[in-house]
Amino acid sequence: MSVMLTKFESKSNRVKGLAFHPTQPLLAASLHNGSVQLWNYRMGVLVDRFEEHEGPVRGVDIHPSRPLLASGGDDYKIKVWDIRPQSRRCLFTLHGHLDYVRSVQFHHEMPWILSCSDDQTIRIWNSTSRNCIAILTGHSHYVFSARFHPKEDLVVSASMDQTVRVWDISGLRKSTPNNNAPGTFDTFDNFSTVKYVMEGHDRGVNFAMFHPTLPLIISAADDRQIKIWRMSETKAWEVDACRGHFNNVSSAVFHPKHELIVSCGEDKTVRVWDLAKRTAIQTFRREHDRFWVLAAHPNLNLFAAGHDNGLIVFKLERERPPFALHGDTLYYIRDKYVRSYDLNTGSDIGLLSVRKFGSPYVPPRTLSFNPAERAVLMTVSSDNGLFELAGLPSNGSAAGEVKDSSVDGKRGSGHSAIFVARNRFAVLNKTTQLIEVRDLSNSIVKSIKPPVQTNEIFYGGTASLILSSTASVVLYDIQQQKTIAEVNTPPVKYVVWNADGSLVALLSKHTITIANRNFSQHCLIHETIRIKSGAWDDAGVFIYSTLNHIKYCLAQGDHGVICTLDNPVYLTRVKGKTIHCLDRSARPRTITFDPTEYRFKLALIKNNHEEMLYIIRTSNLLGQSIIAYLQQKGFPEIALHFVEDKKTRFDLAIECGNLEVASDTARAIDRPECWERLAQQALKQGNHKIVEKAYQQTKKFENLSFLYLITGSTEKLSKMQKIADARGDPMARFQNALYAGDVLGRINVLKDVGMFPLAYLTAKTNGLDEVAMEILEAAGLSEADVDDVPDFGMSTLKLPSIITPTGELNWPSISVGESFWDKALANGGLMEGADVPYTNGDAAGGLSAALDEWAAEEEAPEEIDEGGWDLDAGGEDAEPIAAGDEDEVPMEDADLGAGAAPGVSETELWTRNSPFAADHVSAGSFDTAMQLLNRQFGVVNFSSLKSLFLLTYRSSHTYFSPLGSLPPLQLHLRRNPAESSSSRVLPVAVRTLQSIRSELVEGFRALSGSKLPEAQAIYRSVLSELLLVAISSDQEAKEWRDLVTTAREYLLGVSIELERRRVVAEDPENAKRNLELAAYFTHCKLQPPHLQIALRSAILHFSKANNNGTAAKFARRLLELNPDPKVAANARQRIAAGERNPRDAVEVSYDQFTEFEICAATYTPIYKGSSSARCPYTDAAYLPEFAGKLDPLIQLTEIGAPASGLPAPR
Amino acid sequence: MESSELYNVKQQFILGAYSSLIDLTMPDPNSPDYNPILLYKARAQIASGKPESVEDLVPSDTEDVSLKAVSALAKYRAAGEDDKESALEELRDLCVEIEGEDAGADEKQKGMVKVLAGTAFVWAGEVEEALETLGAGTNHENLEAVAITVQIYLSLSRPDLATKEYNRSKRWAEDDLLLQLIESSIDLVQISNNAYSNPNSFYNEQLGNPSLTSPHLLTARGVTRLLKGEVQGAKSDFEEALSQKPEDAETMAAVTVAAGLPGSKKDEAESLWSDLTSKYPQHPLVLDVEKKAEVFDDFATKFTVPALATAA
Repeated sequence: MSVMLTKFESKSNRVKGLAFHPTQPLLAASLHNGSVQLWNYRMGVLVDRFEEHEGPVRGVDIHPSRPLLASGGDDYKIKVWDIRPQSRRCLFTLHGHLDYVRSVQFHHEMPWILSCSDDQTIRIWNSTSRNCIAILTGHSHYVFSARFHPKEDLVVSASMDQTVRVWDISGLRKSTPNNNAPGTFDTFDNFSTVKYVMEGHDRGVNFAMFHPTLPLIISAADDRQIKIWRMSETKAWEVDACRGHFNNVSSAVFHPKHELIVSCGEDKTVRVWDLAKRTAIQTFRREHDRFWVLAAHPNLNLFAAGHDNGLIVFKLERERPPFALHGDTLYYIRDKYVRSYDLNTGSDIGLLSVRKFGSPYVPPRTLSFNPAERAVLMTVSSDNGLFELAGLPSNGSAAGEVKDSSVDGKRGSGHSAIFVARNRFAVLNKTTQLIEVRDLSNSIVKSIKPPVQTNEIFYGGTASLILSSTASVVLYDIQQQKTIAEVNTPPVKYVVWNADGSLVALLSKHTITIANRNFSQHCLIHETIRIKSGAWDDAGVFIYSTLNHIKYCLAQGDHGVICTLDNPVYLTRVKGKTIHCLDRSARPRTITFDPTEYRFKLALIKNNHEEMLYIIRTSNLLGQSIIAYLQQKGFPEIALHFVEDKKTRFDLAIECGNLEVASDTARAIDRPECWERLAQQALKQGNHKIVEKAYQQTKKFENLSFLYLITGSTEKLSKMQKIADARGDPMARFQNALYAGDVLGRINVLKDVGMFPLAYLTAKTNGLDEVAMEILEAAGLSEADVDDVPDFGMSTLKLPSIITPTGELNWPSISVGESFWDKALANGGLMEGADVPYTNGDAAGGLSAALDEWAAEEEAPEEIDEGGWDLDAGGEDAEPIAAGDEDEVPMEDADLGAGAAPGVSETELWTRNSPFAADHVSAGSFDTAMQLLNRQFGVVNFSSLKSLFLLTYRSSHTYFSPLGSLPPLQLHLRRNPAESSSSRVLPVAVRTLQSIRSELVEGFRALSGSKLPEAQAIYRSVLSELLLVAISSDQEAKEWRDLVTTAREYLLGVSIELERRRVVAEDPENAKRNLELAAYFTHCKLQPPHLQIALRSAILHFSKANNNGTAAKFARRLLELNPDPKVAANARQRIAAGERNPRDAVEVSYDQFTEFEICAATYTPIYKGSSSARCPYTDAAYLPEFAGKLDPLIQLTEIGAPASGLPAPR
Repeated sequence: MESSELYNVKQQFILGAYSSLIDLTMPDPNSPDYNPILLYKARAQIASGKPESVEDLVPSDTEDVSLKAVSALAKYRAAGEDDKESALEELRDLCVEIEGEDAGADEKQKGMVKVLAGTAFVWAGEVEEALETLGAGTNHENLEAVAITVQIYLSLSRPDLATKEYNRSKRWAEDDLLLQLIESSIDLVQISNNAYSNPNSFYNEQLGNPSLTSPHLLTARGVTRLLKGEVQGAKSDFEEALSQKPEDAETMAAVTVAAGLPGSKKDEAESLWSDLTSKYPQHPLVLDVEKKAEVFDDFATKFTVPALATAA
């Protein structure tokens, strides 16, 4: 708390009393001018004023659970107020004190009010009965303060008489209900007695209070001291005093959470003291104002102090816990421990203590995490700014004490420090305005003079820094030492990068700037409330928290509220519907929210219709706001799909020209003005059918007629004529007749209305002389009478001819872009929406492959470690490899220069470190590899191993040149990249048991598919490759041996079968040999499915040769293997046949009752007990005469050669 | 302080973005940056295996010793076996010339001459001469010379000396990009716990560098991944690098190596290998394996192979 963070300040008359509201951000202040103010310190507004006291008001308190405020003033009165805005008033006034009231306090559970006064008494009032229920007398001078104990029935008071007294009021609780009658002073004294009188102050005591949990009392007095008192059941005594104030101490309070005391005095200071050590920690001075009163918030880290010209609200320490996020792990500091919190599993582990870093009272301010080194970099603001770089233990779950960072941490002074690369960090020194780039050993590699006055630095992407200045932020290239971009903004306090580093949010007190990574585009968001923190959603939406809201902000600047908060939180990560955050006490929390709204807006911006549809279908995203938003953003057609309300729906449909919807809704509403608007819109779009309908609905006959005229719908015009007839409207009739070109009709109308001259002329000019005559007659005139009428000639009025029968069709209108929506909605397409297109939080899907890889990787080192340094067994084989724990003597320094001799190459180390041929081959030491193979397995014929050797060697080294202009370096692939000792380093395993096993499986497949030569080749290559596998454990050695044996048996079997086929092809007469080989094949140790093949083949050949007895024996063996029913039935037949005729037609040398092995050269049995020679590698048996020859199975080894076998695993 | 253009050119050269350097349009010939940029461009040509084109780039009558040196290096790299010596002599003369008082060359040019001469000596296999020219172990402030010295030490399996050289330069090199490259390259060879994480993160970071892209960086990261045992990740890097710059020798060699490791198809490695051998018969990997093949035959004959055991 090297800083006192002022949250709010007000100017007023002298403040004499202060009280916090327990839950709302309200603060009551009583002033020397008689007013009581109620401030909202978060918004910074004066909520209310209570001005009924006359003269200064010294005591004020707010009820812990009810909306009540008590005040006590120099007018001897205690007033209790209702502070609810709708019913604010003075509820009642308590009279009784005979002098200034100095303090008032509500009891935390009983309806009691405690007050003290210059009349030397302390009184307790019942606020229900509004009576004084106790008067505590004993002080011999003004009583300046009286406070209830937070739990027990005790009161502590401080007085001008230089004493602090503790009163026992337990009697009061028992008898309160009965005691309503006004009693005498004597009765009061019965149940409230002085418990302790604490003397020690040399001057009047201004304030005293109990510790919230411990049996402690502090008092502040005019002797410039703060005294700490301890009490037991029987007595109270002075523990110590805090000296430092150089004028009267007005007040001193316990910090509600930490072991601290905060005090203020007339020396214009607020001081912070360590409760345990009684030493001053901090002093905050004010220029002119004496402090008079101090209040601590009951729950929060908030204090208020009243002085000569107003009040301040402040907190003592930053509550924002420092944190850094890497992947799904949050690294943060709580109570001076660096902890890691796994967002997925919720495991929360302490990793590192930082208790010795900086002042013990100041928590670290920032934390930067380096995943490559698993190191953290912290800063603390004490001691003028310090930073510390410390490694985290790789396994934090280790039981017991966690390491303290002071053990191996590297420190230095600096205000702001961050990692800029895996092995570099930058430190800002604010006073010298220098940024130092340091390496991990904490030595400075570079110094930069920032181009602007820099207050804080942040990570700015590869090789860049973000410098926060007073009026701008600068993106600065470290390498080039130049400014890349500068953006004007208020001082930036935090910087949050999104996951892929393409967008960054710069957080100031009241603004957020969202910028891309080179600051070329940015937008600014203003907030009236203080912005606390922020985090990026995976979809590129910035979620941020203010003092009382969580909000979102899209990259183009749209923002809105997600939810409200009771207390500020610090967002660390947003994933799907979950917000991960830390609360004020740095405890990880999650908040679940509904991201629908911003997802929808985002989809709207990105034109992602599928997702919008999905959201519409699955959420209840309705309401005016989203509709208004859509309309405002120019998407009425989308808004249409949200609206249920018919009127709005109609309006939107008109707006976006969706006539279909509009006419439907118009019909539902059925009001003239709707039809009118529909007609207008439809007319604009040329959809005359809808216009017609609308006109019909509103009975606009003239308009209808004209519409029919212009669309050339004569038929309908004549209908209109009839309607007009029916309506008896001559004007309409005439009009329709005119439109329809119905001359007679016109004449009739004219006649009907008695306009004969016009009728006559019409008839005349249209050549209807007879009709004209009729008219004349009807008028009682003759032609002669109209002689004077000039001849108008024939009427030229003709009906327009219809070129396009528009009446039948609508003009094609531009298709409106929402065909997607129409389709989707027409389909009722919830199904297609079911696969969520939104991938937030689902990014893991693509990563699963990579995860698998990791998992595999994790397994590998284990296997390798297992063997360890097991040197005992097979030690003599290891002998060619020098014990090799010491490198050659390191060359002296003189070497450093032109005459540098080459060092020990890594390949040399490999050969030293391993007894396995595989590793020697990798190292390129083919001669030692061959010697090893010869000694271990008796290999003599290497020619077929050449490609294997070369491939292994090739894949153990890679060439790469860090400097392109030089020839590349030969780099060596190690088996365990984490190996740090040159005496254990080994080459990569080019071949593993696993890869070989899969090859063997391929061989099985070839066998089942009867591709025998192929299978034979595969088994041979498997056996060759097994020679070049390095073994790391006994388990692996066993597996290796099993693989060798299996491959050998299969190779042998396949070879026998191939030989049999050769015999059949080349020497078909030799039935005996054929049968023998078929029988031997069944004695190779194959897996059941393959053994079945061998047995069935043997059965077939034996029964063909009429050796039914032996065939039956094979069939019995086959049945034991539980073959499938068809095969089993066949086998049973064979058994039956064998029983009927147990004789063998061909005599073969095959005795199934004696155990035998098969000589792999001659394919003849070697019965148990007979001598044999062995292949030193595969252990295949040979007749003794073959000793010293090349083995025919794999053609690598000398039969019977001495061999030591596989060396002990490493 | 160099201009940002020159800085970018230098950065591209250090990070192996040769193709964009070669395509670079030259600034105004009167600009102070002209010669340095020309120098980098010529060096990029050489490094990407086209030393012949340097002749057209660098005027033959130049006074600038560093340009003279770069043409000499180009000549050396382009020359056949017989003419190499004369080019080397030219470089040796230049080295002597700059030592003279009246050389009229500034420190930068002198340093560049040393670097270029050292490069040529390395190619010629004259390691000792190269180290001497580059002033290994002396107190110079020529970071490029340090870089070459370090790589020489590494090729000699002397990471200890390389580290010393690096530590010395750390004091004055101001955390230059090249210094970071040097630091990371030492860890490619040095045997230490987590050795490869440093180069791996270095190339990771540089891949994120907005101001340039180069397939070389992808290959480089692939190699570090390969060294870390992340074969699949390495392969995907190589593939991407090859798609950006097909038939790059370095990448092809690396992908061949990766294909030989477990988790790959059998034939893949062989087809890649035959591709590499036919296209780049001079690649050190090809040469090395060929040499090893000979050695194999040599050793194999030392064992007498008895007759095959067969049923008579």
